[in-house]
Amino acid sequence: MDPATLAGLILLIGIVVLIALGVPIAVAIGLPSVLATMALIGLDNAVVASSQRLFTGINSFTLLAIPFFVLAGVLMNNGGIATRLIDAAKVLVGRMPGSLAQTNVVANALFGSVSGAAVASAAAVGGVMGPRQREEGYDRGFSASVNAASAPSGMLIPPSNTFIVYSLVSSTSIAALFMAGYGPGILWALACMTVVFLYSRKRPELQGTDRVTFTQLLVTLRKAVPSLLMIFIVIGGILSGVFTPTESAVIAVLYCLVLGFAYRNLTVRGLPRILLEATRTTSIVTLLIGVSSALSWVMSFARIPGMISDALLGLTDSPTVILILMMIMLLVVGTFMDPTPAILIFTPIFLPIVEEFGIDPVHFGIMIVFNLCVGTITPPVGNVLFIAARVGELRVEPVIRRILPFLAALIAVLFLVVFVPQVSLWLPTQLGLINGGG
Amino acid sequence: MHAVKKVLDKVLAAVCVLLFTVLVLTVSWQVFSRQVLSNPSEWSGAFARYVFVWLGMFGAALVFSERGHIAVDVVVRKLPERVQRVVAVLVQLTIIVFAAVTLVWGGRRASQLAWDQNVPGMPIPIGVGPLYLVMPITGVIIMFYAVHHVIAVLRHAEATVEVDDTAEAL
Amino acid sequence: GGTTLRLALNQTKEHPSFVALDNFGNRLSKATSGRWDIEVYPNETLGAQQEAIQLVSDGTVDMAIVSGTQLANLNKDFRVFNLPQVFDSIEHQMNVVNNPDIVGDLYSSLEDQNLTVLGGFTQGARSLYTSKGPITKPADLAGMKIRVQESDIHTKMIELMGGSATPMAYGEVYTALQSGVLDGAENNEVSYVSQKHHEVAKHYSYTNHLIGVDYLIMNTDRLAEMSAEDRAAFDREWQVAIQEHTELWKTATEEAIAEAKADGAQFHEVNTEAFSKALQPLIDESLTTDTARRLYEAAQSAAP
Ligand code: NA
Ligand code: NA
Repeated sequence: MDPATLAGLILLIGIVVLIALGVPIAVAIGLPSVLATMALIGLDNAVVASSQRLFTGINSFTLLAIPFFVLAGVLMNNGGIATRLIDAAKVLVGRMPGSLAQTNVVANALFGSVSGAAVASAAAVGGVMGPRQREEGYDRGFSASVNAASAPSGMLIPPSNTFIVYSLVSSTSIAALFMAGYGPGILWALACMTVVFLYSRKRPELQGTDRVTFTQLLVTLRKAVPSLLMIFIVIGGILSGVFTPTESAVIAVLYCLVLGFAYRNLTVRGLPRILLEATRTTSIVTLLIGVSSALSWVMSFARIPGMISDALLGLTDSPTVILILMMIMLLVVGTFMDPTPAILIFTPIFLPIVEEFGIDPVHFGIMIVFNLCVGTITPPVGNVLFIAARVGELRVEPVIRRILPFLAALIAVLFLVVFVPQVSLWLPTQLGLINGGG
Repeated sequence: MHAVKKVLDKVLAAVCVLLFTVLVLTVSWQVFSRQVLSNPSEWSGAFARYVFVWLGMFGAALVFSERGHIAVDVVVRKLPERVQRVVAVLVQLTIIVFAAVTLVWGGRRASQLAWDQNVPGMPIPIGVGPLYLVMPITGVIIMFYAVHHVIAVLRHAEATVEVDDTAEAL
Repeated sequence: GGTTLRLALNQTKEHPSFVALDNFGNRLSKATSGRWDIEVYPNETLGAQQEAIQLVSDGTVDMAIVSGTQLANLNKDFRVFNLPQVFDSIEHQMNVVNNPDIVGDLYSSLEDQNLTVLGGFTQGARSLYTSKGPITKPADLAGMKIRVQESDIHTKMIELMGGSATPMAYGEVYTALQSGVLDGAENNEVSYVSQKHHEVAKHYSYTNHLIGVDYLIMNTDRLAEMSAEDRAAFDREWQVAIQEHTELWKTATEEAIAEAKADGAQFHEVNTEAFSKALQPLIDESLTTDTARRLYEAAQSAAP
């Protein structure tokens, strides 16, 4: 067997078997990568190449945005920002059928628009909305599934750590990706709202009861303004070029600190715990990115992406068929694997193929992230699914049953996102972020 | 061994809090020096990157202590309890091999190879090689934690599969 | 059969360096009847330059293109050719960095680390470009934020020329120029246009402050495996590659200038003497060793 084929087999079998055994995904990627490198150049050189890739894979200023956005998210959870966003969501959609569920969806989208992660949002928003819905007689499985289904919209609506990871492996502009995420992210929330609407329409007990006066509306919205102002600081800062994405993330941290202290929800003594919580989330992702860098190094060294793309192109030369094949594969992978490792593994393989078809790498990034976001709520496993069940104090089964209509709606939106590029690309093109240079 | 682990956990946590604070201050300084002082800092970007690598590696070691790294356990959960225990030990052994080969051995060799290189743009010379030492250091710590988990699992002091999956992924 | 040498490159497949190196490999294979071939890995797929050096030294990768800044990290004497205004022109530069009488000892100085330097490609002459107006003398740069690479020489250079050095990743420069966070940057014409910076910084002022060089390095043990006959073929084809690269570079530069002008960018001459005077202290303080001074003088006397 030639060394490149051997390396490919070690990677394929090693990663699949180790992941199935329950080995941490980072190690399940890292160990086969160094073994595959060994098959090509011997163990003595392989250990250097792998550890060097691990180190330099993390050593990136762009990547630094992730710990800051994660920290900002944790600060928001602890700093009273989530509650204010929920209140704002409530006055916006409080009169629709299923108003509390609708509020949950909108609050997740709002939370997503100031934070980089979905799990934080599901925990923060679901923690407040779950008990309220229970009091008003909502089915508990339903309210947990609403929370789960709508939380990933936060990964599409910028800022988004997931897009930062994609930008890193695809060399695309973070600003362009962020802007491209708005359309699909809003469609995601609208799809959830539609399902909630259809579910609640014929249930009289779930009709909107909250009637707010105009003054109440203004007061609540005004309270949320400082929290929402962060959108302008972060997104405005990046778009205008005043801050790099990493710098805007650190500004978000400082801003959340100021708000948290102003709201008296943060104390100096509480900060180490918050920093540690952010460190955990960050490090999990960091190690994954490091080992994935070793993986993509050995794949390039053995010219594996080229072999895979030749094989795929040998099957068919129809871009539509290949895109559908890729999306099905990602849906299956995403069901079991988190977005970050999946993006890190599959982007280097798939992106060169779709670029040959003239598909914009920013558009492909949106497709792949949207697809993998669906995976986070696709049974049997998924972080967002688990968190939503946990904050709803439920086992995961009742949530799984209720989430199926949401999944159907979101997969329909996925097809729209894949085959109508304008859903993603219209906004960044208007802003001159695509085809405009930079 | 348990006492050692507790101390190590505390030290790692303190190091991570310190590194994270430095990171926030460094990048804040970068923005401040450019936007407010109009005298852009020359060292902050590169410095922050290396602090981040250290934070990421020490943080990752801490998460190994808590068995908190993302893993897929659907398959393992379906196995009989005795087999689960064997698999749990195998998982930790895999971690030991990975840490020994890539982090300790590879990290040490990479550090030696980069010993004469300096990080460009620093006001005082900072070697790339010494910065690589974070890998063998955290490698040894991760191996220690894995050995600890093996013993705990064999003694039935720890579950075979993490019940409370608190890992917050993106 | 033969041995395929893996070469790590930081540029794309369209860049003159890739084209010249790829052709170099093809000719080498022919000349050695397939005993030696070169496979170029573009786009930093095998690692950025700092890592590529380590990998060549370790023998994982056989060859790499690395900038003078990287080699100066290992042996300070390489700094000489990285200083501003050492070379009058690309021809002058190529005559110096590929002249064994001048650089022979320097290029074998890293062999204890298993690295042999084979020679260099030009990176082109770098000049300043700004958004607000042309730069003709150092005073014009007062208070201007100019993007530099993360390198102390580049930082000092911009400060001496009168500007305020701002390190930033090259990918972020476009928006920073557009928004006014940066007032300018410095690079050769090819990068100026390929990064579309000419759209947002329309004034390119020919300060010609520095002509950068990219060195080809190779694992010393691997090079020693070549028979005398193959090594002769290797050296001969490498010289052809250098010439081809210089030609390709000139064409790319002319095309870039034409494109920039068509898009409304302007090219300006500057007061060369004023900049030369401003930069002299950097040259003086950088020539710290006898070897460095000897190299500098040899370079100066090779000027046409
Ligand atoms: Na978001
Ligand atoms: Na899933």
